[in-house]
Formats: sequence, C-alpha cells, structure tokens
Amino acid sequence: MTASTILPARQRPTTGRLILYSVTSVLLVFLVAPILVVFPLSLSSGELLVLPTPGYSWRWYADFFSSQRWLLATYNSFVVGILTTLIATSLGTLGAIGLYLGRFRGKAFVLALLSLPMVTPVIVTAIALYFSLSAVGLGSTLTGLVLAHTVLSVPYVLLTVLASLQSFDPNLLRASASLGANPIQSFYRVVLPLITPSVATGALFAFATSFDELIVALFIASPDQFTLPRQMYAGIREFLSPTIASAAVLVILLSVLLLMINETIRNRAARHTLPPTHRTP
Amino acid sequence: MMSRRNLLAVALIAPLLLLVLVSFIVPLGATLYRAVDDAEIPTILPQTTALLKQWDGKGLPSEQTYQSLIAELREAQEQQKAGPVLNRLNFEETGLRSMLLQGLRASSRFTGSTKEGLIALNPRWADPHFWGLVKRSTGPWTHLYFLRSVDLKLGPDGAVVPTAEEEAVFVKLFVRTFEISLVVTLICAVLAYPVAYTLSILPQVWTNIGIMLVLIPFWTSILVRTTAWFIILQREGPINALLVSLHLVDQPVTMIFTRFAVYLAMVHVLLPFAILPLYSVMKGIKPDYMRAAASLGAPGWRRFLRIYLPLTMPGVAAGALMVFMLSVGFYITPALVGGSGDQMISYFIAFFTNTSVNWGIAAALAALLMGMTGILVAIAWLLVPGFRAGGVRV
Amino acid sequence: MSDPIVVFDQITKSYDGINTVVHGLDLTIERGEFVTLLGPSGSGKTTSLMMLAGFEEPTSGTITLDGRLLNHVPAHQRGIGVVFQNYALFPHMSVAGNLSFPLEMQGIGRAERDQRITAALDMVKLGPLGERRPSELSGGQQQRVALARALVFQPKLVLMDEPLGALDKQLREHMQIEIKHIHEQLGVTVVYVTHDQSEALTMSDRVAVFNQGRIQQLASPATLYEEPANAFVASFIGENNRLVGTVASRDATYCRMMLEDGTQIEARLADDLAVGAKAVLSLRPERVMVGASGPETNQFEARIEELIYFGDHTKLRLSLGGSSGFMARTSFKDGLRDLQRGSLVMVSWSRDCGRAMAFSEQE
Repeated sequence: MTASTILPARQRPTTGRLILYSVTSVLLVFLVAPILVVFPLSLSSGELLVLPTPGYSWRWYADFFSSQRWLLATYNSFVVGILTTLIATSLGTLGAIGLYLGRFRGKAFVLALLSLPMVTPVIVTAIALYFSLSAVGLGSTLTGLVLAHTVLSVPYVLLTVLASLQSFDPNLLRASASLGANPIQSFYRVVLPLITPSVATGALFAFATSFDELIVALFIASPDQFTLPRQMYAGIREFLSPTIASAAVLVILLSVLLLMINETIRNRAARHTLPPTHRTP
Repeated sequence: MMSRRNLLAVALIAPLLLLVLVSFIVPLGATLYRAVDDAEIPTILPQTTALLKQWDGKGLPSEQTYQSLIAELREAQEQQKAGPVLNRLNFEETGLRSMLLQGLRASSRFTGSTKEGLIALNPRWADPHFWGLVKRSTGPWTHLYFLRSVDLKLGPDGAVVPTAEEEAVFVKLFVRTFEISLVVTLICAVLAYPVAYTLSILPQVWTNIGIMLVLIPFWTSILVRTTAWFIILQREGPINALLVSLHLVDQPVTMIFTRFAVYLAMVHVLLPFAILPLYSVMKGIKPDYMRAAASLGAPGWRRFLRIYLPLTMPGVAAGALMVFMLSVGFYITPALVGGSGDQMISYFIAFFTNTSVNWGIAAALAALLMGMTGILVAIAWLLVPGFRAGGVRV
Repeated sequence: MSDPIVVFDQITKSYDGINTVVHGLDLTIERGEFVTLLGPSGSGKTTSLMMLAGFEEPTSGTITLDGRLLNHVPAHQRGIGVVFQNYALFPHMSVAGNLSFPLEMQGIGRAERDQRITAALDMVKLGPLGERRPSELSGGQQQRVALARALVFQPKLVLMDEPLGALDKQLREHMQIEIKHIHEQLGVTVVYVTHDQSEALTMSDRVAVFNQGRIQQLASPATLYEEPANAFVASFIGENNRLVGTVASRDATYCRMMLEDGTQIEARLADDLAVGAKAVLSLRPERVMVGASGPETNQFEARIEELIYFGDHTKLRLSLGGSSGFMARTSFKDGLRDLQRGSLVMVSWSRDCGRAMAFSEQE
C-alpha cells in the first residue's frame, strides 16, 4: 500500500508493487499448476505416474474408453448429474420464486432450513442419507444417489435465483403492469428472461456438484452405481494406473467447459444491465 | 386467511420443502436418534430384557436371567444375529465379547445351575457392575455413544468417568481436526489477501485472467485436485524429480502421507474459497477512502492498518469462516494424502459406518461435528456483518 | 365547461393503521389538463400517484377514471401510461421491443405496431435508435424512451413520477419544454409529480401543493405564486421573506402588522385576522425595491449584510425588522453598483405586495 495508489497510474511500479505482483503470480500458478500436471501424465507411454514421462501415447485414453468399468462410471455420472440438475433446478427455482413472492412470518426460518444442506459437513449428510436410504431399500440405487445429490445441490440453485430476484427492480414489474400485462404475462415476458442467467448458473453448479461428488457415492453406490469420482477413488486406492490421470483430465475439461459456459452467460447478462441511475429520495 | 399471493408462494415452496424435509431433515433426525438408540439387546434378547427390567439391580439377577441370556444368545447365534449384541456390549467394555462367547460355548456342558456354572467359569459373571451394564443396555436410550465421543463413560457406580487411555481417542481427534483446520484457515487467509488485493487493483484485462485462474480450480472437483497432489508428492513424482535433478537433495523426500501433504493439498483446495469473497469486498472499497486518508496526513502503512484492513475485515471473516467450516468436515484429502496420524474426524465417522460397523458412535460423532459447525455458523451470523447465506436477505 | 377525467374522493392511505400518509384527498382533474402534484418528500404526492396507477390500494375513498370506479381494478387493466423515476426500461429488450410491448398486450398486429413505434420514436426524436438496448443509451435518451413507451398505446391519462430527477440541469430544462410540447400535441391528460417547484410552475396548468398528506392549495401557477393560501405554500413556491408579528390594526383589506422589534408594516390581509392575532408576513424578494425611496407606505433603511451575485440579478441580505435574513433582489440599475457590505440602503415595497396570513408553525 504505497503512495502509488493515489498518484497517476502511469508511474513506474514500486518495489512494494513488484513484490506484490510476484507473490500473487506465484500463488496463482500454485493454484493452477497441479491441475495442469495431470495432462502430460495422462499422455505418458509408461506405466508409472512419473514426470518427465518416458514418452507420449494415447494408450491410457484408449484404456479408459474401452474399459467397461470406466464407461459405466461415466454413464452413471451423467445420468445422475442430469437428473439431479433437472430436479434441483426446477424445485430450487420454484422455491426461490415462492420465497420472493411470499409475505409470511417464518420466511427466514424456511430459508435457513432449505439452506441447511449447504452448511452441513458432507460426511454428516452422507451417513445420514446412507442410514435412511438403506432403511427404505434405496441403499444401492441410482435413485438414492439422485435424491442425495439433489438435496446437496438445491441450496445453491435456491440462493442464486433468490439473490437475482431480490436485486430485481420492482419498477420493472410496475411498468409491465402499467403497459397492460397481467401478472402471468409479466412473469413470462419480464421476470423469467431476466432471471434465466442465474437459473442457468444454478443449474451448471448443480450439475458440477453432482458430477464431482464423491463422499455420498462412497457410502451409497455399489460397483454398478459407481460414478466417475467413485471409480477414480477406487483406482487410486487400489491400483494407481495412468488411466486415472486420463479420467482426471476428462473431468477437468468438463469442469472448464461448465465454467466457460457460466462466464459466457454472466457476461451476456451483464451487458444488458442498465447502469444504475441516480435515485433521489 | 392467506392472500392469494401467499397461497401461490406456499405452493411454489412446498415441493422443495418436502424434498428437503424427507431427504435431509428426517435422515438427519434419524441419525441423531441412532446415536442414542439402544435397540440391539431389546430386539435380539427380548426375554432377557424383560427379566432385567424387573430385576431391582441389587446383588445378582436370578438363575432364570442367566439361563435366558444364554438361551437367547445361542438362538441369535444360530440365526447369525448375535453380532450386534456382542459388539454393543464389547464397545461398552472391551473383553465382554470373549467372555460371553466363552460362556456360551461352555454352557452346553453345564449340568446344574447355569448361574453357578458361569461364575465358576469366569468370576466376572458374578460382577454386579457387569450386570448393571447389561441392564443399562436394555434401552431404549443410551448415553454410551455420546459419552464415548468425548472420551467419557459410565463407571462402576454409574458416575461419569474418563475412558481408559487406549480408548480415549475422540477428544484427541477433535482437537487434531480443529488444529489442522485452524492452520489451514490461517494460511489461506494470509495467502488470499495479497492475491485478492492484486486482483482488485489490476486493470480489467489482467483481473479477468487472474479470476479465471482462481475459478478453474474452484470448479474442478476436489477429488481431481487431491489426486493431482497425490501424484505430485510421490517419491517418484515431479517435485522430487526436480529437487534431485537440481541437486537440492540427495534422495527423494518423503512428502506423501505426511501432515505437510495434508496442509498443502487442503490449502490448495480451499484457497479459492478464501480469495473470492475477499476479492468481492475489496472490489467494493472506493479508492476515495484511501485518498481521503492520505489527504488527512496518513502515511501508507497507517492508511492500510487504520482504513483498508478494517474495511476488508468482513471479507476476511467470511472467507476464513467458509474455509474453516469446510475443512472441519474434510474427508477425502486427508484420506488420500495424509498418514495415519493425520486423519480427521470425518475419517472416523466413515470408518465406523463402513469398516468397523458401529453406527451408534458414527452417528454420535456426526452429531457432534454437526453441532460444532452449527455453532460456527451461529457465530458468523451474529458477528460478521453481511454474512448471510449467499448474501441473500430475507 | 368542466370535463373531469379523474376524481379522487376522500382518498386516505395508511400503511400501518397509525401513520396516515394521505388524508382525505379530494381532487378533480380535467380532461387534457397538465396537473402537477408538488411537495416535499413524504408529503403524500407519490403515494397518491401510485394509488391512481394501481400500485397501491387506498385505505378508504374512491378514485374514478372517466366515471369508472378504479378501486379494485388491477393496474394492468387501467390503461394508464406511467413514466418512472428510474425509467424502468426492460433491459433485455431493444428500444423498439420496449415500445412494442404494450401494443402486443393489446393484441395489435405487426404492421400497425411498427407504424406506431416509428411515430413514437419520431415524437421523442429518437428515430434511428430503435434497435439499441437501453444500456447503450444515455440517461436523457432513456428518459425519452420511457416517455415514448408510456404514450405509444395512446392512453387517456399519463402519470409521471419525477421523471427528470436524474438529469443534469440543462437537459432537465430542455426536457421540461419537450414534455410540454408533447402534451399540447397529443392532448393527453398528464399528472406529474415533482418536488421541484420551478418545474411545476413552468409546466403545469394547475398545481396541487402537498404537505403532510393534504393538499395545501390547488391553483394555477400564477395564483400559487402571487396569492399563496398559507405560509407553507408561500415558502415552498418561489422565494419568500417570512416575518412574524402581531396585527396592530386593520380594515377590510389591509392591516398594519407590528414586528417584534417594533417595526410596523402595512400589508394585504390574506386571512381574516383579528387585531392582536399572531400573523406571518409573506413578501417576495423581487417585490422589494432597493435604492431611492418612492411613494410606498413601507419604507425602511436597512443594512446590507451580504451581496450574492447571480449574473442577471443580485440578491441582498439585509437586516430589517429584527432579522438579518431579509432578502431583496435587484438588477443593479442606476448607481447602485457601489453597494457594499455594511452600507445602509433604502428598501421599500407597496402594501399590496406583502400578504399577512395566520401564523402556523414552520415545518
């Protein structure tokens, strides 16, 4: 924090600044490097996970795509992920709209209750669901997994959509009414288009949460319901082969794809937002 | 009578509420129940239970009770159902399983009174403390699991006493969990500050790149990131390869399965959670404040300490709390890269659920963990201004 | 001939049952009129507008539009155009999309919609900007789109809630004239809310001055300015000198007031004041003549405390009648240029310019 914060920006950076920038760069590299390390490892022609790799080959990806177990795990992950996303996004969005519209006492309590899965340690949720699902016979089923993942993701959807509803300019709804739109028309033509970006973000987050989820799957899934993370975990514990690295790379690419989609949606939405106008009391 | 609008609102919330109630609240409650439920003996040894309930607890129970115990145990064993009872009692006091099994085997050879035969076999059968223990275990509730989860138990005269040295692991575990979480939180808070600050003052183009570098790990699964560290920290891994090739060390350093590895991997996983809220707060601080302070004669470090730092505190607190709450419940990362002395409480909750099946203690530990997290959230709610679930007002 | 379009009949509004925001409002608005609701914040003017628009429910009383009772008619069925203070343009639609919206709600076909949109854009001089998004427009342009949108579906009544508040001074004055022109062109009835009294005076046919939930005076701008009904209106509209004293003597039209320091002033009676009653004298600074004495009955020598230069005129702050805040205005004619602080100067005004009103606590 030097005088250059208040002097014109074109000054030569001070030593303080240089140190700051170096530290930040190192830390940012620290954040991303381990993720990048997995890429060359997945292309190793060797059988051990060592760098530098003896050579390059696609054999581990081939192994992944020809393996029954890995393909089943990927399939399961997508099925559970998509179902979770559909249910969590619809229930969460409806719930957010309900919380936005409702004027009843205990609203805060309901919101706290619905956010509870988010603040509960995942292990606690996992065993609670394990005990209960086993008791009703859903212990080793994809249904049980979908249920569990939905419960874990729904708070994110709820809070994201609710936040965007609360930052919604109420005058837009009044304007819409004054122009002749009944409440349903106003909802479809004005509210929905403007909250769609946050619904999308919620959906993406729900999918990512489900796809990456391991702890609940550890308890609830037996080999037929293994998801990709669960299969990876088994692989690490039992036999560490570079196929795991290739699985990891595929998961990373999917995460980055989701992230890119989300950022694109957010940027497009930001461009539509009016600059805040000066409000006089 | 509720307005139409409220009726609609309730209808919209209902399905979600139902889902959370049925799939989360109820299971959570059931788990809590499981931590105090004492169903093994009443279910598997019903007759013995009834007899013990009638017994006044003084002296020793009747011959009939001894016989009933042996008979029901044998029947349970034949149906492969004796395990839960034996585990239950053995958890209360180590050695009871072998004592009961020994008695069970020997009793088929008894000619006279079962009671005398058992006592002759093992004087423990005449120990009123043993029978007091069994009577306590006839349910329906027990303090056993919650007491054990904080290394306490009921002593001979029913008073609460500490458990034996070799059994007293849980308090140590909680302490270790907090210790690790605290260290990780501090490191994350300290590291996040410069990164968030730099991002908040850079021109838009650089900030976007920087934020992307923070978001990528944030969106990447914890398992993948931890796996990456697992691979990197191996003796044959890239770091060691680098160190050796640069002649900084003679031999590869053991980094995997150490506390260091746990700290490293957890900080890596949790750092984005500390950076993002802090960045958001810093971005909202108007440069005018610092300029005003400068115009009033405050030198750089003073401006930082008196103006900037306090203004960023809500962001620091929010990030730190988030990191702490998450690390307290961490399971995968210590399990993969840590050693046996680095496992946190969640590991043992999983252990008692899957491996050494004892759902009672698992549930009790989970309940305690949940309680602690709840207290943290309550503190955050009260102390940190602007800490609301996701920044949402109600 | 009276042709009322909107009638407020004993409209009362209270949000919590304890504090009343609007008290028994009676207001009749003539067709084609430009009526302004003027008042400070919290005076009830915006709430009254909101009730007319249908965004708030009156606690009691009725509102009729063209004879039709509006009380339980939802906002979207009232057919009233509204221009909001923050414009409330739909950010996800283009300008043309915004204008098309009300026409689509009315089920108007594509061809006619396009025609009307073009006409509306031309009316507010934004012809080529139809495809732009609101976020790409300046504040003034957004304001004009808001105006066009409220008029494109040809409502009988248009409400404007402080629409010019966010604009800078020059743009604001320009828009005031534009709105007035549009009003004259279309012949639509306008109800305008503002706290800016000069805006109200320039634009309106009639002004309703609100204070604490009641209309203090409903009159043309000239009447409000020249003949304020009470002390509040006098100080709210235009600049005003307010001198407190008691009625020493009176006749049918005029009275003689005695201020606290003994100064005696002749003024016109605005209220029926008894001798000895506490009264307030209201006098516009520009009515005060500075310099040589004339035939007026009120003539005093005052000391100049401060001179404030305004370019086209100068304001003088004088000590007179026991107060040092007496304001007079002069355009610097004839040898008054040597005036300085501390100088003594003669001020005078005719007894018709001062209005004596009943004393009420200054807000």
